[in-house]
Amino acid sequence: MRKHSVWLLLMAFVLVLSACSGGNGGNGGNGSGTPDGNSGSTNSSDGGEQVTLRVLHWINEPVNKYMEDVFIPQFEEKYPNVKIDYTTVPSDETYDQLMQTRVNANDADVVAYKSSFVGAPQEWSPGAADPLWKQWADAGLLADLTGEDFIANYNPVDVENAMTYDSKVYGVNMGKVSFTGLFYNKDIFAQYDLDVPTTWDEFMVVLNTLNDNGVTPIGFAGKEVWPINLAVQGLQATIHEDQLAYIKGLWTGETKFTDPAAIEVLEKAQIMMNYAQNGFMGTDYGTLPSLFAAGQVAMAADGTWNAATYQGLNPDLNLGYFPVPGSSDPADNANLAGKYDMTWMVVEKSSNKDWALTFLEEMSTRDNYTAFVNAAGFLPTQDVTVDSEFINDITPYLGEFILAWDQLAINRENVGQYADGSSPHAEFLKPAGPLETPQELADLSQKDWDAAAPK
Amino acid sequence: MYPFGKGLSRYVPLLLLMIPVALYVLLAVGPSMVTIVFSLTDATGIPGTSWKFIGFDNYKEFFTASNASDQVRAISRSLYFAFAVVLIQNAVALLIAIIVNKRLRGDVFYRATYFLPVVLGVTVSGLIWQMLFNPMGGPAQKLLNVFGTQSNFFGSYDIAFELIIFVQIWMYMGYSMTIFLAGLQAIPKDLYEAGYMDGARGWASFRHITFPMIAPAITVNILLSIIGGLQTFDIIYVLTGGKFETSTLAFNVFAAAFATTTSDFGRASAIAMIQFVFVFAFAIVAMLYFRKREVEL
Repeated sequence: MRKHSVWLLLMAFVLVLSACSGGNGGNGGNGSGTPDGNSGSTNSSDGGEQVTLRVLHWINEPVNKYMEDVFIPQFEEKYPNVKIDYTTVPSDETYDQLMQTRVNANDADVVAYKSSFVGAPQEWSPGAADPLWKQWADAGLLADLTGEDFIANYNPVDVENAMTYDSKVYGVNMGKVSFTGLFYNKDIFAQYDLDVPTTWDEFMVVLNTLNDNGVTPIGFAGKEVWPINLAVQGLQATIHEDQLAYIKGLWTGETKFTDPAAIEVLEKAQIMMNYAQNGFMGTDYGTLPSLFAAGQVAMAADGTWNAATYQGLNPDLNLGYFPVPGSSDPADNANLAGKYDMTWMVVEKSSNKDWALTFLEEMSTRDNYTAFVNAAGFLPTQDVTVDSEFINDITPYLGEFILAWDQLAINRENVGQYADGSSPHAEFLKPAGPLETPQELADLSQKDWDAAAPK
Repeated sequence: MYPFGKGLSRYVPLLLLMIPVALYVLLAVGPSMVTIVFSLTDATGIPGTSWKFIGFDNYKEFFTASNASDQVRAISRSLYFAFAVVLIQNAVALLIAIIVNKRLRGDVFYRATYFLPVVLGVTVSGLIWQMLFNPMGGPAQKLLNVFGTQSNFFGSYDIAFELIIFVQIWMYMGYSMTIFLAGLQAIPKDLYEAGYMDGARGWASFRHITFPMIAPAITVNILLSIIGGLQTFDIIYVLTGGKFETSTLAFNVFAAAFATTTSDFGRASAIAMIQFVFVFAFAIVAMLYFRKREVEL
């Protein structure tokens, strides 16, 4: 019995010791230490050893399909010792969480960021918090891509605007998108003799004509909230004379959420929501394309990145896209605004950094990049010709690329719910929310904003 | 017989006990202590960044920041959530436990069916109820349409939070029922026989025999419901993402730690500690009260 007890004890100690050593080795940095960069995959990037390249991305059907069906098989065929582990999760907080935990733990090699490098505090926004990408860049977690040859494939102006921070290139931006317009069903418009509206009054005629004929004019996906505010940003882009000046003014006190232009945005947003489908606040973003593709709504508030999804659901769908005409002057409504979309970043301490760079190099070749933007429906950041009827259709609205409100806005820390985030909050207005009038919402937004002013 | 003999061997049980204790300290107590330390710092949680102790600034900020009223509303929602869950979940669970405790045909099937949502987990349960409450032609919407009305359900400021509470109760009612069932089955039959002889029927039998005898099960269920209710964030995340006035203190802990565009572990740790004290206080008060009641009964 004694002998067995000793053996049992010995085994138990070995178990505890191995558990302890596993915990120490696997977790790498602990917040105050300096990780050695060997955590994550144990594969080496040199020689012919098997390598698993960990790529993080959110769910975006056309892009995911291109990656999974075209690019990744092609890459793995060219580099047989590399296997790409392509992880996709919903684009909401799920992706933010995945990205943070995996990058902080060096458990990723290539990470897609949801925008370009925007939102860094400016001299006019004292006390504003650093966005995540800036925290990572400042902490040395992002690889400096400045000297890489493939960066030269991209338009210098886009490299400067979207990929550069503190004179260093930290990412590869894959293209621009617009989201301040509405998809429309050309067949339905033709059926009721409707033209693309170029002013707010014309837009009202379109809304009323459709409504009077029993057609639901606009489809909104309200459940996630942000898709509603895409159209609201369309109103902002066309109603505010200079969005950046207005945002700066909010910080300095020269402009208010209660200014006539801001109230007008909310009033028109409320009008648009009154023409939405029943139950629009419970409609999730994944359902909206099927509503539009099935002809249940004549227009849909969505970004150009989703054009391929709409077309994929119904190849016979005759769709177009026009800017939300918030102004009475057609010239103000002539352009779409948008953002630089996904940006690939390489994790600096990745054990597969060389292969991560090879991944971006391959992605950046003219052929692969062209195939990518065609699949994604992005406006290119390389000087390539896009073979997309949809993109060509909206090109007249893209004379000069204008950044939308959420790409320009910088928020105060700890600001209340009526002014937080990076877009206005039309979801609080009836019929979506509890507030009756735009003035109420504007007053509450200004109150929250003032309360969060730096002391 | 004591199996470990004499001398050094006598300490083998103690040493063996050290293993789970060591693992517990390593995996549970240690991280909790780190959270306390983090809450007193401005750590971002990003490896390689410097951090310093800032005292109770994170706590002060939570209670005095300009959006403190949003946090107060989240706390009041947490209390409302926990109160509703404790009351309704346990009442329904007790009722069903009493029914399935009878010798019914297929009683095992009923018990398993009522317990099934516990096994399904949060994501599957969330999916099921999102489909049932789908405003675009879901069955609940069709039912409302019959009465000439409609709703946005989980997208509604009016009822989204109540629907989440309903789903939470649906998910965990089977768990409470099982605990009540165990309590009911432990009641000796002769007590009922003796009560019957004294004229105890129906409600009187329940009031004077069943209820006092399952007092420990009630205490356990109420404590678990309070702790579970105050800590719930997952089903809120799945169903509304904290939108439409559905965020609770526990959800805000999650959001501050993971669902932000700025990494601020110090602040998230402070909110987690506030959440811990909040839950601990309610749990302790409830435990002392119900233990006292058990003795009285």
